[in-house]
Amino acid sequence: MLRFKSIISRIVFLHVVAVVITSILMSVALSWLLNYATANIHNKAMQEQAQTVGEHLSIGADGRLELDLPSDLLGLYSQAYGRYSYAVIGERGEVLFSSLGDHQALFPADTRAGAIEFLQHRRGDATVSGASVRKTVGDRIVWIQAGEDLANRDVLIDDIVADFYKNVGWITLPILLVLLIIDIAIFRRALQPLREASEIAEGIGPARPGVRLPTGEIPREVRPLVSAVNQGLDRLEEGFRIQRDFTADAAHELRTPLSVLRTRIDILEDQEMRRALRQNVEGMAHIVSQLLDIAELDAFVVDAEEKADLRSVASEVAEFVAPLALAQGKDVALSGSPDPVWVKGNAEMLGRAIRNLAENAINHTAPGSTVEFVVDADGTVSVLDDGPGINDDERKLIFRRFWRRDRRKQGSTGLGLSIVQRIAELHSGSITVENRKPRGARFQLRLVRAA
Amino acid sequence: MRLLIVEDNEELAELLAKGLRTAGYEADMLSTVEEARAVLGTTFYAALILDLGLPDGDGLALLRELRQRDNPIPVLVLTARGGVHDRVHGLRSGADDYLVKPFALEELVARLEAQLRRPGQLLGNSLRIANLQFDTQNRQTSIDDQPQVLSARETAVLELLMRSKGRVVSKKQVEDHIFGHSGEVASNAVEVYVHRLRKQLSERGARVQVHTIRGVGYLIAEEK
Repeated sequence: MLRFKSIISRIVFLHVVAVVITSILMSVALSWLLNYATANIHNKAMQEQAQTVGEHLSIGADGRLELDLPSDLLGLYSQAYGRYSYAVIGERGEVLFSSLGDHQALFPADTRAGAIEFLQHRRGDATVSGASVRKTVGDRIVWIQAGEDLANRDVLIDDIVADFYKNVGWITLPILLVLLIIDIAIFRRALQPLREASEIAEGIGPARPGVRLPTGEIPREVRPLVSAVNQGLDRLEEGFRIQRDFTADAAHELRTPLSVLRTRIDILEDQEMRRALRQNVEGMAHIVSQLLDIAELDAFVVDAEEKADLRSVASEVAEFVAPLALAQGKDVALSGSPDPVWVKGNAEMLGRAIRNLAENAINHTAPGSTVEFVVDADGTVSVLDDGPGINDDERKLIFRRFWRRDRRKQGSTGLGLSIVQRIAELHSGSITVENRKPRGARFQLRLVRAA
Repeated sequence: MRLLIVEDNEELAELLAKGLRTAGYEADMLSTVEEARAVLGTTFYAALILDLGLPDGDGLALLRELRQRDNPIPVLVLTARGGVHDRVHGLRSGADDYLVKPFALEELVARLEAQLRRPGQLLGNSLRIANLQFDTQNRQTSIDDQPQVLSARETAVLELLMRSKGRVVSKKQVEDHIFGHSGEVASNAVEVYVHRLRKQLSERGARVQVHTIRGVGYLIAEEK
């Protein structure tokens, strides 16, 4: 079984088959019609000839039948010409007159024959075809036969039949082929709305879940498919919406009570109590915020069109974390490319990744040291610290959710680096870590450069 | 100075009002978009503290309405929504600042005051860090209440830093502030002025520190 990938190729194939079959059928039908028409003309001519011969029959004074043909007719039926012949048959089947040399009938005499009959008969190596006409002359009934030797048939008519294909038949094939081309054009035109719908469909993705295929221009036959696709998209969008709503609801339900608690602590009179509680609530808020970030990341899709200037993102993060670092007696610095570095991705997301790297670095360095951000023109941003560095056996573990080197240490959730890794994945990028000499770690977030 | 808090969690609204009172602000509390719309049409407030998720609608819709009517009231948005698109969305809708819950009361007050100190807003003219004081009206710097004389450009840098207390001011911002957008600026000009300012402040006994965040900008903070 032949399989076709496209509707057009299927149509072309079927159309070619149809053209071939039509050509054959048309040829057969036309040649049959042509033969039928020429046979008709021949029969009619023979009938007329028989009638003409009959007109010259009369009853003589002796009561016998007489045939008095004028000279032009005698010439037509002469042995020398040999093409046409006639015979007159009497009531008992006897041959009364004949143009043939042996005085024979053209066709076997049949006294039961009707008024007009068309006959064909082989005589020796010649085939005679013609008509037999019944006529009453006086009180006698005769049958007049007129025939033509088919070997000497009318050349003109024969030529028309013989040359039909050479002269006319070949036109049918090109006409059918032109029809095929027109059909293809019509079909392509009819499929245009589908092509347009396909282009729209190409733009559908998790980043733009609201796009639907247009049904207005779509042919009615294909509309059920398009509608079904649209309904499928509705369900997918609903799924995304539910997940996003959950994250938003969870954020609200967790952050509002934390906010009440935080403010209540902030207006406490007791300084010592306030400081301790603040630290607790900040730790709690940090965990909640990171969990919500992770929940959001699981449903987040980066728009392929979006791009961000890595330099300005890194700069904003540095501005954001600098006061926190300074408060702990640590410093922050930014270096690298002085020009914008455009990468594919969402600026806010990339900012979160760099912020997590920065906070991680600040937490792991001693007061008096500097956390440095380096933005490279090739689309990478590195965060360098002077901390203890990463042991080889921990290199993989640190990106796992909830992994912590020291579980007793306060304020660390073990989520920060897993968030960074997830953001890197979402952006088709990577996060790697290496140790610096003499001490410290260098985290490198590599992203895809935007055109 | 009167502020309006629109927040549907009454407990939080009351705690915020109480906290703001100790910082010197009186606050009225409302809990719906409808009430806020009515009250803002008739009453003048110095600033609006607006929660986004309100029972009868979205705070952002109210914010857009205000901005469409050219109401310039400083708006500080409070929200539980910390999503990636939320901050950008909030600022585009006309919020002047954006705080994700939970936030520190000090942070709220600091952000509020930053808004109220913008030109045309209501807060007093005096900026203070430790024993250093700057009067934005007559551009007078004082240390321990003793008026000091600084050069015009040192004063300009100090004003910018003090207006952005607790936050980093980018080098570009300082450049624009002291030189405007006109003409070429020598690449180290800002560093030179900051260096001079730092020297002046330290020599005159100001208990503040002007930090350089290399590659980023500057930040003024109380000396440790």
